[in-house]
Amino acid sequence: MSFRHKSRRTDADYNGDENRNRGPLKRYNYWKRVADGSMRSNEDMDSTSDLKKSNVNHRRTDIRPVSEGPVPRCMDWEREVETDEMCSSVCCDMQRYRRRTLATEFGPREQKNSSGSSDSRDSPVPGEVMEEDEEVLMRRQKQITYGKNTLAYDRYIKEVPKHLRQPGVHPKTPNKFKKYSRRSWDQQIKLWKVKIHAWDPPSPGGQYEVDLDDVMDIELDFPELDSDSSAQPPKVSKASSSQAVSSLSSLGIFEGNY
Amino acid sequence: MENCKEDYKIQSFDLETQNLLKTALKEPSTVDLEKVSNVIVDQSLKDQVFSKEAGRICYTIVQAEAKHNNGNVFRRNLLNRLQQEFVAREDTRLRSLQEWVCFVTFICNVFDYLKVNNMPMVALVHPVFDCMLRLAQPDSLNNEEEVDCLVLQLHRIGDQLEKMDGQKMDELFYLLRDGFLLQEGLSSMARLLLLEILEFRAGGWMLSDTAQKYYYSEVTD
Repeated sequence: MSFRHKSRRTDADYNGDENRNRGPLKRYNYWKRVADGSMRSNEDMDSTSDLKKSNVNHRRTDIRPVSEGPVPRCMDWEREVETDEMCSSVCCDMQRYRRRTLATEFGPREQKNSSGSSDSRDSPVPGEVMEEDEEVLMRRQKQITYGKNTLAYDRYIKEVPKHLRQPGVHPKTPNKFKKYSRRSWDQQIKLWKVKIHAWDPPSPGGQYEVDLDDVMDIELDFPELDSDSSAQPPKVSKASSSQAVSSLSSLGIFEGNY
Repeated sequence: MENCKEDYKIQSFDLETQNLLKTALKEPSTVDLEKVSNVIVDQSLKDQVFSKEAGRICYTIVQAEAKHNNGNVFRRNLLNRLQQEFVAREDTRLRSLQEWVCFVTFICNVFDYLKVNNMPMVALVHPVFDCMLRLAQPDSLNNEEEVDCLVLQLHRIGDQLEKMDGQKMDELFYLLRDGFLLQEGLSSMARLLLLEILEFRAGGWMLSDTAQKYYYSEVTD
């Protein structure tokens, strides 16, 4: 029986004072009438088992205290709800991603838009280890959410349907389930957000402006499977920033899902 | 929405507020959602009929806001208000039993309707339990109004609450058994309500046919 069904039933019984008049607890009327004396006598009740009596005596000294005072359980209900929401959506994403992993491993024909092994869409490489650390996933999801909660992203997804996205040209959300170093991931996010800026609503001054400060001093970092951060990647200067963005795309950094 | 009034029980509001609520349901981004949530919370604390179903209108507005602009202004404010009222519940109860009962009804209704990914809001579980446990205290059991509220809420959301924290539900029912057995001066109505809820839970949050017959059929004298 579903929750909804159950509550509908109880709602019908208990909804509103009007039901009280119809007397959901019909026995109440009976009890009211006999309340003054002709109720079942106490002797009848005591004639049941001795066990009950001894339990009653035992209980008398065993009243449980309950936490006193209006103490809030946590600091902020809304923040807790938002975190939970993100947590469960990350879990949903993970299940979906796992299913796709299985589909890739065991049945390429199950893939809907398979275009060969070079398809860097959502399907992970079979046997590839995926990121499962909850803390990492939550942090990454938060970064993705911040990027998507923008007017620019709204305009982007309205303008370019997913199936018309061209890799390299159109920003693609970094895949949070793939193993990347912290630095690699943070940079992917940064570059992704920069690309989304292209869809910023036109400012009073000019056309679509990419804030070049965002791409200043980008450190090129190739996707890694471990967190080796000791390598010294080349720096990219402001002048060649736009070049850097497109060349990074061609490196295939933006693998992953939307 | 022609049957808006009946669905959401907003007849008790003045016309201006009714229109505000109707607009909030259809075009949430065009209204002051903080104001809307305050209006709903304030009314829920006064109006018992409204408090029993206010969760539904809250849910619809939350969904509408999320769909229109991915916002959660309404929900954020609603939860903040609920949290404030929760913290002050002891004072509320001393000041006005009716307001306290309305508050409990309202927060339970929100728990029932405002789901997150089809799951109840975890943040509300312990606060709701705290309210139930408070209602199970001896001084509350002496008020039929409070016992009535307690059993009504348990009928509506008891099974969901138990799934979220079975141990707390056990703790609550220890108190209810104690109250039923030991509390002197408990009215016959209160005892009837308690016995029914004890049986209800024991039956897996539903009554057996015979119990149903006992409690809910007409008794001929």
